[in-house]
Parts: sequence; C-alpha cells; structure tokens
Amino acid sequence: MKEHDFRLISVKKKAHRDPLLRSVGLGKIFPMGNHFIKVLENINLSVNSGELVCILGPSGCGKTTLLKIVAGFIKPSSGRIETHGVPISGPGFERCIVFQEDALFPWLTVEENIAFGLKGRINKREIKKRVGKFLYLTGLEGFGRYLPSEISGGMKQRVALARVLVLDPKLLLMDEPFGSLDAQSREEMQSLLLSLWEELRHTIIFVTHDITEAAFLADRILVMDKYPGSIKLIVDVSLKRPRRKETNEFHHFYRYLRDRIGLNSSPSL
Amino acid sequence: MNRSASGEKGVSWASKKALPWIIPLLLLLIWVVISELKLTTPYLFPHPLNIAESAYFYIFGNPVDGPYAGRFINDVSYSILRVSIGFGIAAFLGIPLGILSGRLKSFQLFISSTLNAIRAVPGICWLPLALVWFGIGIKTTVFLVALAAFFPIYINSASGARLINPLLYQSGAMMGVGKIRGIYAILLPAAMPQIITGLRLGLGIAWAYLVLGELTGVPDGLGAVIMDARMLGRIDIILVGVIIIAVLGRISDLSLKAVLRLCFKSARRTY
Repeated sequence: MKEHDFRLISVKKKAHRDPLLRSVGLGKIFPMGNHFIKVLENINLSVNSGELVCILGPSGCGKTTLLKIVAGFIKPSSGRIETHGVPISGPGFERCIVFQEDALFPWLTVEENIAFGLKGRINKREIKKRVGKFLYLTGLEGFGRYLPSEISGGMKQRVALARVLVLDPKLLLMDEPFGSLDAQSREEMQSLLLSLWEELRHTIIFVTHDITEAAFLADRILVMDKYPGSIKLIVDVSLKRPRRKETNEFHHFYRYLRDRIGLNSSPSL
Repeated sequence: MNRSASGEKGVSWASKKALPWIIPLLLLLIWVVISELKLTTPYLFPHPLNIAESAYFYIFGNPVDGPYAGRFINDVSYSILRVSIGFGIAAFLGIPLGILSGRLKSFQLFISSTLNAIRAVPGICWLPLALVWFGIGIKTTVFLVALAAFFPIYINSASGARLINPLLYQSGAMMGVGKIRGIYAILLPAAMPQIITGLRLGLGIAWAYLVLGELTGVPDGLGAVIMDARMLGRIDIILVGVIIIAVLGRISDLSLKAVLRLCFKSARRTY
C-alpha cells in the first residue's frame, strides 16, 4: 500500500512453490437478530500462482462472503487466511475484485476510471501509457472518453476488469462478474478473460453458479454446498485449452461434473 | 450527455424553448384583458403598462425625479449582499455537518434531534429574537437567511452522503485510496447531485427570508422597497419588487448551477 509496493509487484512475477493463497479452517458467522447464522464453515483451500480457480455453488452458499474475506473487506470469525504466509489484514490492490454489479465511478470517464488506482503511484505519462495498453487489451479502444452511463453492461464489466488489471494484482477476484450480461456478451467476456489470463499470467478466483462457465474457464473447480457454506468437492478440469463448448469432450465433462455435484440429468434442471 | 436522449424523449428544440413561456404569457394576457375591460380598480390592480412604466422609473430613473426613481441598483446590491452572506454561511456549515451526520452514525445521533427541534420552529418566530439580538440592519437579515437556508443544505448533504453505494468505497479501498483521497475523490463526487439539490433549495429559501428580514425597517433592499410602497399605497412598486425578486431568484438559481458545473466534474457529468 506504500508507494514502492507497486513496482515491487511488477518485478516479482516468477512462480512460487508455496501457494499464493491458503486458508485453514476458515469460518464466518453473522449475527442475525438474537441468534447467529453460520455462513462459512471449515473452508480449507489453497490457490497456486497462475491458477484459474472457479468457486461453483448455488446462491446463498457464501461464495461472495468467501471472496470478500479474501479481498480483506470482511474478517473471518475463525481460522486463518494468508497470502504467501502473511495473514490478510485488509483490502489492497494486490487482491482486486471485479464486482457482480456495476461499481464504476459514474462521474469519471472510462479512461479516468481505469487510471483511478494508479494516481499518485506513477507519473502522468506512465499512467497514460498503461491506461492505453489496458484499453487496448480489454477491447475498449475508442471508448476512453465515454461515461459509464453511456456504455453497455458488457462494456462496463470490461472497464471494471481493466481498472483492476492495470494495478497488476497478484490475485484477481471475480464475483459472478458476467452474471447479469446477455448470453453473447457473456461468451465474449469469458474468451476475453482467458486471453488476458494467458497474456498476463495472473491468478484468478472466479465465483459463479453457472456450471458451463466453470467448466469452460477453470483449472480447478471448488464446489460449494450451503447451510452452512462449505467446500463439498474439488474437481480438477482436465480439458485441454483452448476449450470449445460444443465439443463432445466438453459435454462429457459437463455431465461428469453435474453427476459429481449431485444434480441428476433431468432436463428440468 | 445521455440525459437529452433518454430523459427528455421527443421534446424538440423549439418546444423546449417555447413551453416554459406559455403560462407567464397567458397570465400576462389575462391581466391585460382584465385591466382593459376595467374589471378592477386600477388602484388595487394596476395596468401592466403602468407597472412597466414604474419599473422603468425604478430601474433607470434619476433619483431627483421622485421617491422610488433610480433606487434599483442600491436596493439590489444590498439584497444580493445579504443573500450571499447568509447563503454562504448556510452552505459553509450545512455541507460539512450534513456529510458528517450522513457518514457517522454517532455524529448523527449527537446532532440530529437538536437540529430537528430548531427546524420545527417556523423561521418567522426567530424574527423578534433576531431583532433584539442584532438590531435592525444587515445582521438580522443575514441571520434569518442563514438559518433558513441551512436546513435543506444540511438534510440533502446528509442523505447524499448516507446513500453512497458501498461498492464505490470498497472499490476505492482495494485500489489503495486513503481516507483523505476517499473524501474528495469518492465521497464528495458521489454525493454531489444531492448536495446541489440542497444548495438550490437553500438558495430559493434564502430569497424568501431575505424579504422577511428586510421588511423590518432597514432603509435599503428589495424587501424594504416593498414594505415602503405598501405604506404609501404604491401597488405598482410592490408588484415591481415582486417581479424583480422572482427574476433574481431564477437568475441566481441558474448561476449557482452554472458555477457548480464549471467547478466540479461530477456536477457536470452526473447532475
């Protein structure tokens, strides 16, 4: 969070042996009237550098709470959570969230939104260069001077992605970021995310309730259960990249995943 | 920018310019007809042409020509001065206190019952007290104006600050924004639309209380002219005063908006 941190992170990008993120026995209870609700129970997870991990679960299973604990917005009630062995004590730009809903600053243009986190860390010319690069990488070239109210939902999520990627986070946290988009924009954004990930090699934790999305994106899928939120199952995704959703291989994996989760294959689901 | 496309659908440029003038012109027409048909006594309800004449006399006349001739500049400067000082004090106190009570629950508990009690007292009740405390003159008027304009500014700033989307703060925190930058780069711009609403309401009330303050025997100012004209039975001058206050109120509202838009990106883009 100090000035020099920013450059340090850019230089230090080699693979680490120890997991980037590890939680042990993590739990969270919220007070609710005069009793308590167990939102998360005994979450043990470890995420390695460069991995793309999906957390898959029904709504109400505590996915967002888990992500907010990783981001540092919420403190866990029990257990430990650390990055490279250092406990997480608060929010910081090495762990950035792309939120489910639009959280852009409506009074700033696309460019200014992306430059927001860089201000005061590097000089103006550097900012301009970096912002330009990420406008290009996220397919927003030519939209730099628009206001968030003037662009579509898909464009807004591109800006939300660009404004955190520009900070070069160690860990990119995504909370159902494409959930509110139409099917076509969602597919575009999924492909964009993968191509950015291949280019920048950052680590991603992606929360979703969409089985297809998890199967398409993830190296590893953590399947969560609810009441209380806990990790029920961890599935390694063996599908080769680039993946295509219309192949038999993908369908096989999708069915396998559904069976493992415990959904039967009846068409009503 | 988007506003004209979404919010004011189907309103052409011509009707945008013309629509606001229909009611005033219609009223003027009715007035002219009533006066021409001599349906009222001219003493109570002067002909518009007489009003125009009096207005000309009041604004451009030579002071040696009569009791109200050429007083306009003097009266208006005093009135504007009083409104500006009173409104300035109200904004200077109302915005910071409002934001504090919108953001800090403890501060709100600390201050809001007291302020609401004061707010419940009609502004006119302060007049006798202000006269005793401050005497007849600028201080009483400024006190009344500041007191009345404070509440809309305070209440709107507080609700603006309270209703900020918490995701904006979380975004700021993860991008490494500290407390100070959080205030001027997130809190103020996010609350800006409601702060502006509060300032505009406050300025409108400031003009109302200006006249109240000036009715109390000060020699200069638009309120003083109106009161003076009532004593002398000059209905035309009263109406001239009323019209001038209406016009000045509108101009000051437009200037306030223009200045805020000039100074703040967030006012330009989100209000």
